[in-house]
Amino acid sequence: MKNNVSRRNVLGRITAALAGLLAAPAAKAVKTVTQEVLVSATAPKDYDPTKHKWVMAIDANRCIGCGFCAEACKKENHVPEGPYFRTWVERYIITKPKPGSGAARGETLVDCPDGGMHGYPEASVPKEDIQHSFFVPKLCNLCKHSPCVQVCPVGATFDAPDGAVLIDPKYCIGCGFCIQACPYGCRFLSPVTKTAEKCTLCYHRITRGLKPACVEVCPTQARIFGDLKNPKPDDPIQQFYQNNLVTALKPHLGTEPRLFYAGIDKEVR
Amino acid sequence: MRRVFQMPPQLFRILLLAVGVVVAYSIARYFLTPPSFGEYGWYRGAALAELATRDRVYAGKKACEECHPDEFQKLTKHEHKSLACESCHGPGEAHADDPRKDNIDRSSFAACVRCHEANPSRPKWHKQIVIKDHYTGKCTECHVPHSPSETP
Repeated sequence: MKNNVSRRNVLGRITAALAGLLAAPAAKAVKTVTQEVLVSATAPKDYDPTKHKWVMAIDANRCIGCGFCAEACKKENHVPEGPYFRTWVERYIITKPKPGSGAARGETLVDCPDGGMHGYPEASVPKEDIQHSFFVPKLCNLCKHSPCVQVCPVGATFDAPDGAVLIDPKYCIGCGFCIQACPYGCRFLSPVTKTAEKCTLCYHRITRGLKPACVEVCPTQARIFGDLKNPKPDDPIQQFYQNNLVTALKPHLGTEPRLFYAGIDKEVR
Repeated sequence: MRRVFQMPPQLFRILLLAVGVVVAYSIARYFLTPPSFGEYGWYRGAALAELATRDRVYAGKKACEECHPDEFQKLTKHEHKSLACESCHGPGEAHADDPRKDNIDRSSFAACVRCHEANPSRPKWHKQIVIKDHYTGKCTECHVPHSPSETP
């Protein structure tokens, strides 16, 4: 064994040891540089998403169809002009049945001019023919089992730990699978960024302690917003759950929306 | 070529190629996966913080109260207490950053009609008027928007 120690052998071993020592930090340094070129992660870290569970609820009994919410959403999130909405308000009109038809109700008419963001014009049906009419604000249903997240091929959309369903604009390739997958039509392909967009619950506002823009401007508190992990004694969201029988949209699809509605009809989908 | 474990050379080359692909993939994966991937789940955790850094357009009621406490107090005592300032006055972040008279909507009378024009789809508890039967002048001639039950 002793005879094996030669100058060449020793030098070789020292070189190998040095290379081994340097390889790990060098690889790490290269990795850091590569990643800084590819993605910039220089955002503040003072908000912990695991300590919140945001949720919205809609009390349709209180919606007056002013459309301030749709307008505010569009301005706050710089949503492109045209038929692109992260939230909108629909008008449902259920007409009276034709006399002698034996039906309980007539037709169901739904309209949504400009997403309701300029308010609502007069109904197309005369007042005497209306059995029921009401407004329904729509937005991301915050599903527990989100079909949009399941179909994303690149992991660009996800259920954030704080309850929002978000899109990573740097990873989205604009394939549009999620837009087809969402049963509530809450996503669109932005003609500006060419990526999918949707309601983020105004993520840049809620992480700074503000309400989403639509909730902020709603004049009648038809939209209720809260944090389920940090309930306060006079929390409007807790009062909403306490005081209302609620329903979710399209429950048969098994998406289990976390967005609950009070005061809507069976015709609402 | 020397035989390794008595393996035929053509098999050995295929095996070598397979190992090469796996090694190349592992190296690429090590360098290209963002550091925050998998922090919360199967996505880039840093995306959360990046989405949170966007600038806001609506300032929020508290920002208005800082400079306009009187109007704010008046509003909270009357029927319009559930309204935000920015419901009628429009987005106010630009005004809150640089308070000037020309960067905030100060005369949004259309906003009154947008909520109070009679519409059969609106809930019954909500006060509504048929504007052409009511009055065709300015709403503020008879109503104070910040305290609707008072007269000017």
